[in-house]
Amino acid sequence: MSLIDALSTAMSGLRAAQAGLTVTAGNVANASTPGYVVESPALVETASGNAVGVDVTGVNRTLDQLVQSQMWTETSGGSYADAAAQLYGQLQQVYSTPGSAGAFDKAFNNFTAAMQALATSPASAAAQTGALSAAQQFAQSLNGMSSGIQGLRTQAEQGIAADVQQANAAMQRIAQINQQLTANPAQDATAAQLEDQRDQAITQLSQLMNIKVVQSGNNQVAIFTGSGAQLVGTQAGTLSFDTRGALSPGLTWSADPSKDGVGTITLTSPGGDTTDLIANKSIQSGQIAAYLQMRDQILPQAQGQIDALASQMAQALSNQTTAGTAVTAGAQAGFSVNVGNLLPGNSAQITYTDAGNVQHTVTIVRVDDPGALPLPSPSDPNQQVVGVNFTGGMGSVVSQLNAALGTQLQFSNPSSNLLQVLNAVPAVTVGSLSATATTTSLTSGSPQLPLFLDGTTPITGAITGAGSQDTGLAARIAVNPAIVANPSSLIVYQVGPPTPAGDPTRPNFIFNQLNNAQLTFPAQGGSGGQSPPFTGTLTDYLSQVMSQQAQAANAATNLQQGQDIVVNALQQRLSTTSGVSIDQEMSDLITLQNTYGANARVMTTIQQLMTTLMQAVQ
Amino acid sequence: MTISGIGTGSALAAQNAQALVNLQNKLDQLTQQLSTGQKSQDYAGLGSQAGLTVGLDAQLSALTGYGNAISLAGTNIGVVQNALSEIGSLNGAVVQAVTGSAPFTLDSNGQTTAQSGAVSQLDGILSAFNSQSGENHLFSGSAVNQPAVASTDQILNGNGAQAGLKQVIAERAQADLGTSGLGRLLIPAAAGSTVSISDDSATSPFGFKLAGITSNLTGAGVSGSPPSMSVTLGSNPSNGDTIQFSLTLPDGSSQTVTLQATTASPPGANQFTINPNVNVTAGNLQAALTTAVGNLAQTALPAASAIAAANDFFNSNPPQRVAGPPFDTATALVNGTSANTVMWYTGDAGSTPARSTALAQVGPATTVAYGVRANEPALSNIVANVAVLAATSYSPSDPNAAASYAALTQRVSANLNGQPGMQSLSDIQAELANAQSTINNAKSVNQQTQNTLTDMLQQIEGVSSDQVGAAILTLQTNLQASMEVTGMLSQMSLVNFMPA
Repeated sequence: MSLIDALSTAMSGLRAAQAGLTVTAGNVANASTPGYVVESPALVETASGNAVGVDVTGVNRTLDQLVQSQMWTETSGGSYADAAAQLYGQLQQVYSTPGSAGAFDKAFNNFTAAMQALATSPASAAAQTGALSAAQQFAQSLNGMSSGIQGLRTQAEQGIAADVQQANAAMQRIAQINQQLTANPAQDATAAQLEDQRDQAITQLSQLMNIKVVQSGNNQVAIFTGSGAQLVGTQAGTLSFDTRGALSPGLTWSADPSKDGVGTITLTSPGGDTTDLIANKSIQSGQIAAYLQMRDQILPQAQGQIDALASQMAQALSNQTTAGTAVTAGAQAGFSVNVGNLLPGNSAQITYTDAGNVQHTVTIVRVDDPGALPLPSPSDPNQQVVGVNFTGGMGSVVSQLNAALGTQLQFSNPSSNLLQVLNAVPAVTVGSLSATATTTSLTSGSPQLPLFLDGTTPITGAITGAGSQDTGLAARIAVNPAIVANPSSLIVYQVGPPTPAGDPTRPNFIFNQLNNAQLTFPAQGGSGGQSPPFTGTLTDYLSQVMSQQAQAANAATNLQQGQDIVVNALQQRLSTTSGVSIDQEMSDLITLQNTYGANARVMTTIQQLMTTLMQAVQ
Repeated sequence: MTISGIGTGSALAAQNAQALVNLQNKLDQLTQQLSTGQKSQDYAGLGSQAGLTVGLDAQLSALTGYGNAISLAGTNIGVVQNALSEIGSLNGAVVQAVTGSAPFTLDSNGQTTAQSGAVSQLDGILSAFNSQSGENHLFSGSAVNQPAVASTDQILNGNGAQAGLKQVIAERAQADLGTSGLGRLLIPAAAGSTVSISDDSATSPFGFKLAGITSNLTGAGVSGSPPSMSVTLGSNPSNGDTIQFSLTLPDGSSQTVTLQATTASPPGANQFTINPNVNVTAGNLQAALTTAVGNLAQTALPAASAIAAANDFFNSNPPQRVAGPPFDTATALVNGTSANTVMWYTGDAGSTPARSTALAQVGPATTVAYGVRANEPALSNIVANVAVLAATSYSPSDPNAAASYAALTQRVSANLNGQPGMQSLSDIQAELANAQSTINNAKSVNQQTQNTLTDMLQQIEGVSSDQVGAAILTLQTNLQASMEVTGMLSQMSLVNFMPA
């Protein structure tokens, strides 16, 4: 052991203190740099002979990887909740401020009030044009809501496109850093800086979609989608999204590319394999998932609600139900009704009880497009829906019905357009038969009228291979131009004898239908899924829709707040371990200063010893 | 919130700042609530009651509609009631004029003061029928865009080829009088001791209709039955014996011709002389009967005929006209057409009850019917009787004029006073008053409902400014405290305490 050994030990101490000072300076400088993980010098004691020294081998990142990976998971959830809450907020704006002139239900209420006024003074030209313009405003309000909803869908589509680009950039950055770290495996400040940047990119990616991050040796990470497809390894996959521009109600997502009306996200792996990430439900969280859910579920459902409103409201005013006439043929009994005026989408209804005394309802819907047949059956087995093609004449109608229902009921066509139904077996009792047809004439002699049209087509809910007329009806519904040209059609329902000018029959009918008619709204418009259809008045339905939308928006806000708390907590935990604490750094600084001073003191002492030794030798 | 990068030392500070921003947002929201008075600018902000507000809004809107219907129906009923009371007082004036004991004096138009007054009273009644509320003619039933009645001049005097009341009365007068001047009765010369009397046609509605013969003549026998009867004198009657011939007039009234056997010669009015030869006595009876019937045909018959003509003109739809010319031999009535007869009522004449021609829904389950037609029985009866008075005129040289006028005024006055079992003006007024009271009830019920619903809506959508004010104060305190503490904490750093 010699003084020289001690000197070199003191030297190593000075170097270590200097390295520590560099790290502290870096920490302080990056105190508010996003993504910066606090660093500490990696010190190792060294020994040569009896001399013990210290060596700086590199720089350590102080990171709790468990918290970090939790953080990434919750970040996906957080940005999903943020985006969903924001989009729900925008959807709420489509319904406007409660009680305001533009409110969701205001145009409808104005419409019924105008009809009420017209019923009170039918002859007044002012009341007629007032009612007409209220009807137009209601149609326009439906059009406006529809375009608002489709605007939001388009916005979601564009949001996905932008997010996919961001995701690609982040994935490439991660792959690039993986490669750089392979090339430079040393644990130094450069590596730490690259890791910080890679973590930052992963955080960005986790905001966009839910990912699984797997750490492997050599400072490498691999990133997978929720369903296990690899996004990034040493090479990055590529996401692509075929944006479709402006969306309309009829354009929906489908796994079948020939039917797909909106963009889909495809992952191309470095090897060239492609995966449809929407079809295999890989994206369950993150901002992209929020956009997808809005585009494909929430907004189409909102559209479906106002479509159902438009369709049922129009049909409530134009549909006329004729009850069948009782007939008997030998021991058989049943009913007959004229089905000659049924339009595609119109229906006839039969009720019968079977041998077990169970009541059945059969709805026979005119569906002229063979591509749409057979119609899907409702969930309740006692409620049958049979689609029948009327283009082949009554003979064909009868044979289609006998083929579908022949075990219980026997159909025939006694004359012209009369449809007759009898019990096929004695145990069956036919309870009723009626036909509901859409009135197309303004002066049919009955108060029903085609006040609203789908362009120039009557609104019947017709089903074709391309879908139902109801889809996107709210975007197209308009007041019948013949009534716009002649507002007195709101009063005059027959020409011979002419309706007296003061006859309130028609406006009273319209008012009653709007206020009191019990209508059946399809389930998809209500709360989705297989729930039974909603039956109630138009106001009941509006109320139901608004409750449901408001609750969904509130749920989204609550989720967002809950998720914020989780993310905040994780962020705090992460920052207590990995964040730069200025106080800590300052106290480190004092320690380093003292260490440096002490080491220097050791050297001073050695120098004094050396001097003493030299003087002794003199 | 923004998600910052992981591991930054500034996370806590950023969260603090975020919390401050959140407080600020909350403050903004409260300020907005205070200024708009509304809890939320979207439905989501109303929470679970969002759907309820939609229902409440719809109910309130319907109530506003009922309110409009109530005020319109109220106005219309008011206008109709005014018109009806005007008609009632004009009716009263006519009745007073015809029952007064004014002497029978004719003006240059051949009319009495009461008659020329009736022309202007008819005018008043018809104007009342044409009263409007806004653009609506209220006495036209559901044809509110058309006036209810034609003008006085057209109704009385006709319009071009369309006959007015005067022409219809004149034609009917000829038909009722007949060619012989005996009011369509046949009284042939006595055959032996038998005097017979019969209608000229069993089916004709015109002239006198024989209703029966009551004989107190000693030794006389009555045979046959209406429309053809005869009296056979078996022996001469005693002095003072009477025989009564009952006749029905075109307006349904009855008149009895009483003839008395007398030994005086010549006989007085309505008497016949008993001659020792019973056949001559029968001839005297036939002559006296012819004179008496002829006299009646000039006095009561024209009055009854005019009343019947007015009934046919005003009270039947379509109006009934004498089939002719020639009119004096006509035996049937035919429907008048709009080409040949003035249609006095120009409103809707459908089969719906008159009240149902105007309906107002004044509550969720309350509908008030308040329509009126000018041709309702009570109203057309008034018009018909006032019009007949206005339409007739007399010749100063006619010796029967005074008697005929008396017969007319007696009938008009009886008809205008109302017939038992017939709809009267006050019936209509009472029905409308009921409608008005239903409306008033509905109005107060609606008002209460509206208050309740508005309250409820206000509780859901609105905010109390006291509450918001208090919340703002609390928030302000929180915000100030947070800011102060945040500022203090930022000073709590070792950097500030290290030796220079």
